[in-house]
Amino acid sequence: MTEQTSAALPKSGANAFFVMLLTLLAMGSGLVFAFVNEAISFALEAATPYVEQGFEVREDNWSGEVESGKPLLVRHQLFRGNEYWFWAGTSIPGASVEVTVFDKKGMAVGLETFSKEGKAGVRVLPGKTGTYYIRVIVTRKKTTETANAGGGEEAPSDSLDWGLVYGYR
Amino acid sequence: MFVKFQLITLPLFASVVLVGSAQDENGTSRVTQTAGGPERIDLSHFPGQMVDKVVVPIPAEIFSVLDKVGEPNWAGGIQMPGDDEKIRDRDILALRFGGLVAEGFIAVQAKSSDDIQKIGRRVLSLAESLGLADAVRPHSQSIIESAGKRDWGKVREELDGTQQTVRSTMEKLRDDELSGLVSLGGWLRGTNVLTEFISEFFSEDKAELLNQPGLVSHFRKMMTELKEPVRDSPRMKSLATGLARLEAVLNQSPTISEESVNQLNLITRDMLEEFYFKKGQEESARAGEDGAKAPARETEN
Repeated sequence: MTEQTSAALPKSGANAFFVMLLTLLAMGSGLVFAFVNEAISFALEAATPYVEQGFEVREDNWSGEVESGKPLLVRHQLFRGNEYWFWAGTSIPGASVEVTVFDKKGMAVGLETFSKEGKAGVRVLPGKTGTYYIRVIVTRKKTTETANAGGGEEAPSDSLDWGLVYGYR
Repeated sequence: MFVKFQLITLPLFASVVLVGSAQDENGTSRVTQTAGGPERIDLSHFPGQMVDKVVVPIPAEIFSVLDKVGEPNWAGGIQMPGDDEKIRDRDILALRFGGLVAEGFIAVQAKSSDDIQKIGRRVLSLAESLGLADAVRPHSQSIIESAGKRDWGKVREELDGTQQTVRSTMEKLRDDELSGLVSLGGWLRGTNVLTEFISEFFSEDKAELLNQPGLVSHFRKMMTELKEPVRDSPRMKSLATGLARLEAVLNQSPTISEESVNQLNLITRDMLEEFYFKKGQEESARAGEDGAKAPARETEN
């Protein structure tokens, strides 16, 4: 279900070039590749202001496709003493994304979050070194058409792209 | 009446502050954690999809913590592997590639331009042996140039990028196994040098950095999924045994003792001797005349 890909980090002032590069890559590599990497580019865009604050963003990342509203859970090792931001993104217009980090007991540990226009982020200062769980939920907003047809529920389930990157300092 | 007003309005005011939004530089709305208490989920009955992919932290992530709690002698931690020319097995080349990138991260901590430039060249040489030179060449050049400019952040970024490029290219070529071995090689080299520094000036805080059972478990699973004949080669069997020994040490108790750190050091060293260091080479060879660790040395395979 999930297709894992990666993309390079865009630098401040180079976003347009980055998006253009992704588009060119997409043209040469097929629709699915482009679809997935667009979500990563949204996540990386969300990360860009934090790079200026000293966060080093990893090149490796998670991405794929998921049904609207279905939560995804990523396991990841964090180290006490570091500060982390996780940024999630989706390229689907009008879709929202949220990201939450939980410790091994299932308790949310995010100190700060944001979610806007296909991008979301959460900041974490791990209390212990160990495995943490990052939950990503991408939701397609209901439309007037589907609300009339389906009683106001979400749009029919289909695949939405998602991407997750992280940085540390 | 006044007292009641205060009791009611103060918490209300507090929650207004806590959920208040702010605009950051790019206009993104930021909302701090609400006062309603953190959300809790049942991880054993998660109503969604677990993502299989494991992203292995790069050594720099762990080194940055170590730098915050002490001043390790990073230069003394650099130890170049021997000649790569005799290596023909792609699985060993992949492991060594990961180890060499980790060596690069150690050299960045040591701010050793010369060692980083050597590593940049060696990385390209190994990539040539793996048939991935075209993909790695730009990274290699950037590592060398950035080291010359002492732009350590850029070097770290390029080292991470090099490893990622190699792994992605391997995966595109359906060489997922090799991609995993690159990660294992890097993780082992990083963990080995970490155990050295922690055992020098032991503290439970530092030892906690080694609490990585999820990663050990991931690598153990990966080794069982290797295809024959690679899985049954003596070196891979030895690495699989080493991972089992690491897991046993980490599961001994909730906190990692000094003795456990020393065990982890010996086990990772044994494992690195399968693909990176010369077998039987003694750690003491690195000690200088005054007992301090000497600068980077080279080993032979």
